[in-house]
Amino acid sequence: MDIPPLLLQFAGSLIAIFALYALARAMRLGGERVLENDESVKAVAAQVEDGFDAQRVAIDRGGTAALASDDQGQIMLIKRHGNQFAGRILTSDARVSEEVDAIIVTCGDPRFGPVRLSLGNPAIWVDAINRL
Amino acid sequence: MPDFSPTQYAVPLFVVAVLAEMIWARFRRPEAYEPMDTLVSLAFGLGSTMAGALFGGFAAYVFIEAYEYRIFDMGDQWWAIWWAWPLCFVLDDLKYYWVHRAGHRIRWMWASHVNHHSSQHYNLSTALRQSWTGAFTFGLLFAIPLVLLGFHPIMIAICGGFNLIYQFWIHTEAIDRMPKWFEAVMNTPSHHRVHHATNPRYLDRNYAGVFIIWDKMFGTFEPEQRSDEGGEPIRYGIVKQLGSFNLLYAVFHEWIGMVSDIWRAPWKQKLSYLLREPGWSHDGSRDTSDTIRARWQQRQTRTLPVEAKPVADQNPIAGSAEAANSPI
Repeated sequence: MDIPPLLLQFAGSLIAIFALYALARAMRLGGERVLENDESVKAVAAQVEDGFDAQRVAIDRGGTAALASDDQGQIMLIKRHGNQFAGRILTSDARVSEEVDAIIVTCGDPRFGPVRLSLGNPAIWVDAINRL
Repeated sequence: MPDFSPTQYAVPLFVVAVLAEMIWARFRRPEAYEPMDTLVSLAFGLGSTMAGALFGGFAAYVFIEAYEYRIFDMGDQWWAIWWAWPLCFVLDDLKYYWVHRAGHRIRWMWASHVNHHSSQHYNLSTALRQSWTGAFTFGLLFAIPLVLLGFHPIMIAICGGFNLIYQFWIHTEAIDRMPKWFEAVMNTPSHHRVHHATNPRYLDRNYAGVFIIWDKMFGTFEPEQRSDEGGEPIRYGIVKQLGSFNLLYAVFHEWIGMVSDIWRAPWKQKLSYLLREPGWSHDGSRDTSDTIRARWQQRQTRTLPVEAKPVADQNPIAGSAEAANSPI
């Protein structure tokens, strides 16, 4: 049976891709960064939106997500993405729901996805997001 | 007549080089790689090859038609004219500079090129994060002058292939700086890290493919400033990071954004959402790289201590900003 060269190339490349992915996992590349304190959240917030000057910060207990607000009333949602962080400034499209031990924030960008935050004092943030 | 694609032969080399860099990362900087990010980058590369096979025929057809109208004729033995090869390579690299610059400054082109920048990492796998949708831009028009000059489309394709192969190795943090003479003329990992950075200082800089001289000639060069040189750490990716490893979203997100902007915009502004710079909006509610940089420059001049001014004056961007914007 003759296999078309393009199909052969595709299959070979696919095998190489998954082999490299598996190897990256086996070598434990990447690691898991966490937001350890207010300063680390402020630094990440300033990177997400250049010049964002976070005044108030709330970090998820696991350190994988955070909320930050500046003195202009803007609220930023930050989540871990791989071993980096990504974030969005929340708009009136943002939604927040409460669970027993956490809040779920969605920013209106469906691909960014809902972010679960287990916070010490979520009520302030729920209120602030609902007022956007 | 030569009939081969240099990039096809380079693929095994790419795989081995990525593997070698992973081993380097394992011992030196494990955070330089992220398995899911690598998987997405490599899938981009595979998809790009497939897209090229599917849609590349159109570009070939346009070039072969345009070749009929060439100004200079190198004859049937064009491939045997030795000097035509280096000349074609240099001119193709000049073409690359402009098509790449357009890729960052025209949203229609950016919708395709953004794919290459969407990783928050900078490693050899990022080099393979190539667009699937280049055929749906007008990028091929930049090569028409070369065809009309008389360079055969196959010669241009081969030179372009070698150009792409050269650009592979510069996508790494494993190499700090090359010798000074090399940094002065060639595109290097240091110069290209700047290009992939989202730090305001570095936005829309260093468009070069092989020769960095084009950026120096056309005013878009910015040297990398390491932390020991007073620079801040480089952040990679795009201004609005994707925050998702969904491959299809990564491929098409900017096309979707652009089309929905055009759909919603007033009639008079629709074309601007296609042809103006990424981030442009008719109501000025969004940021472009220019506005981000201007805001950053203003902050620098506001916070810069007086005694630090001589250092800033030595920097081309800070220097020009002070002339234009300095409130001091």
